[in-house]
Amino acid sequence: MQPAAAILIVDDHDGFRAFARGMLEAAGFTVAEAATGAEATEAARTVRPGLVLLDIQLPDTDGFEVARRLAAAPAGDPAPVVVLTSTREARDYGGRIAASPAAGFLPKDQLSGAALRRFLARDES
Amino acid sequence: MSRRLLAALIAGAAAAVGCFVWSSWPPPSRYAPIEISFAVVGLSYMVAGIAAWQRWPASRLGLLFSIVGYLYLVPYILINLHNPVAFTIGYLTETPLYFAALAHLGLAWPSGRLRSRFECGVVIADYAQLVVFSVAGTLFWNPAFSGCNARCPANVLLIGDGSRPAWNTLGTIGEYVGLVISGIVLTLIVLHWRSARGWSRRAMVPLLWIAPAVAAETVLTGGLGGLFNFSDLVRYALLPLVLLAGPAVFVISTVRARTAGGALGTAIVDLEPGASPTRLREALARALGDSTLQLAFRQPDGAGYLDTSGQAVEVVRPDPGRAVVPVAGSDGAVLVYDEGLRLEPQLVKLTAAAASMALEHSRLQAEVQAQLEQVRASRARIVEAGDAERRRLERDLHDGAQQRLVTLSLALGMARDRAAGADPELGLLIESAGKEAREALTELRELARGIHPAVLTETGLAGAVQALAERSPVATTITAVPDGRFPAAIEATAYFVVSEALANVAKHARAGGAQVTIQSRPGRLVVEVSDDGAGGARAERGSGLRGLADRVASAGGVLRVDSPPGCGTRLEADIPCP
Repeated sequence: MQPAAAILIVDDHDGFRAFARGMLEAAGFTVAEAATGAEATEAARTVRPGLVLLDIQLPDTDGFEVARRLAAAPAGDPAPVVVLTSTREARDYGGRIAASPAAGFLPKDQLSGAALRRFLARDES
Repeated sequence: MSRRLLAALIAGAAAAVGCFVWSSWPPPSRYAPIEISFAVVGLSYMVAGIAAWQRWPASRLGLLFSIVGYLYLVPYILINLHNPVAFTIGYLTETPLYFAALAHLGLAWPSGRLRSRFECGVVIADYAQLVVFSVAGTLFWNPAFSGCNARCPANVLLIGDGSRPAWNTLGTIGEYVGLVISGIVLTLIVLHWRSARGWSRRAMVPLLWIAPAVAAETVLTGGLGGLFNFSDLVRYALLPLVLLAGPAVFVISTVRARTAGGALGTAIVDLEPGASPTRLREALARALGDSTLQLAFRQPDGAGYLDTSGQAVEVVRPDPGRAVVPVAGSDGAVLVYDEGLRLEPQLVKLTAAAASMALEHSRLQAEVQAQLEQVRASRARIVEAGDAERRRLERDLHDGAQQRLVTLSLALGMARDRAAGADPELGLLIESAGKEAREALTELRELARGIHPAVLTETGLAGAVQALAERSPVATTITAVPDGRFPAAIEATAYFVVSEALANVAKHARAGGAQVTIQSRPGRLVVEVSDDGAGGARAERGSGLRGLADRVASAGGVLRVDSPPGCGTRLEADIPCP
């Protein structure tokens, strides 16, 4: 089995972050956390996560903007797989998800280690 | 005019004409037309005198008209009395004096007062030369010179048997002097006309008809009459009728002026609601017959008055020829008018009252308009505040309850996985709890979407309408929708139009398909939703359409519903959009 990638959870909701950390660590991932867009870009630079679980609704900016910043990382530095998430459904965001550089969207209530692995696997293939 | 004066004037006119007829009765048949002509002309000036007194009590015009009438008839009465003294006085005053009075009337028009000392001098000179030449000529006039032999009474002033050459010469000199003075009088009248403005100019119009007529009559019956070889009938019976022009034109203008009060009412009625002061001034000026009328307003800083064209107006000490009347009830508005209108105080009073009413009307209308604007603005604010509140509620649900339900549902999922191996029964229990939590989440999402569509906030109209079309149970095509963003209130209004219309299509229309078109036009956003269903939708039936029309109106727009039974429904919202 490959070493589990590091996951960066970006969400301003402490309860969800704590719960997701527990779930993903149990699934074998290393987990880092960020509560705002600014923290997220900083953590992405230092932690270099393989996947960023990015809440669309953030206090300082929105997930789409953070996804753009992460995608624009310097060349040679492999950009992480970005998975947008929200308690809302994908259709509430119209075409914005498809238009963003994120790899996809995962409704929060469907979060699981397996779901994230699928995104990672899709990225490698 | 007092009743007593009116009675005296009527009695005087009746007496003069009665005496004239009595003194000349029975007329020799060939003189009858001449006598009738004289009586008619004399009477017409007396009637015009009464009309002038009635119309302009403050003017002496009535007096002058009456004097002309008496001076015209009385000499003939005296001549016909067959008394030497009366005959002589009658001969003295026969032609000339009424003519001087006519010149006086013309120069004093329309106030009845002469305008300058020079004009007084001209009028006095006119009367004087006529008297002097008349008396002088009479000294040498033997009635026999005029073919008036034994039938005539004696000339009591005659010196000896008289002298035809002296009488002729004096008559000719008198005629030339008279012509010169008449020329001066006519010139002065033309100058008066040229310098008159507004109402005064209009008031001079009858005079412009009278003066040439009188001049023509004088020339034709006087010195130049010989050139045309008129018969006595033409010369003494028909030509004097030209003099009727004066009283006739004056009486006609008086009757027309009587309708000025009515014209004022019409002018006010014709003013469209909220007419500008400029339009009001024009209407009043037309009704008053004074093109120079100014409507002036006191400046808020107290720095004088400005008229409707922005010109400063002297109100405290008006310019010469101008008069001022305040407009009651207005905040410092005044009418500045031609001074000649002082002859029509009632009309001026009426005009000021009409101006006051119109200004008050405009003020009330502006007030109502302002209140309406306030109500419109507050309605729009209320709707916007409602929208904002709904956005906040949706966001709160999203951040709070939805978030917790998500976590709960995830936790239950994990708990189920852990319990499944050890205790399958517990696993099933947790599974069903998880299912409940997920359903609660779904219901909460629907509730939040109903409160305010997150997709509208997130993506704007295009995405939100796309989402509506996808969710609609009736096949819905979007033919056009602008990509850009619009102010939140406009996006929300347009969204609710589409949402409510599609909900109606699904509920009532029995339609096979619906079509949504949103077009951004200069200054507005036009939202159109049509279907091929049963039609017959009416906004006033208390359906959601009524509320939708209110919603559109709150954004300053209009909702049109076209829904003939059996031919589908077309809903169009036209929303102003900066």
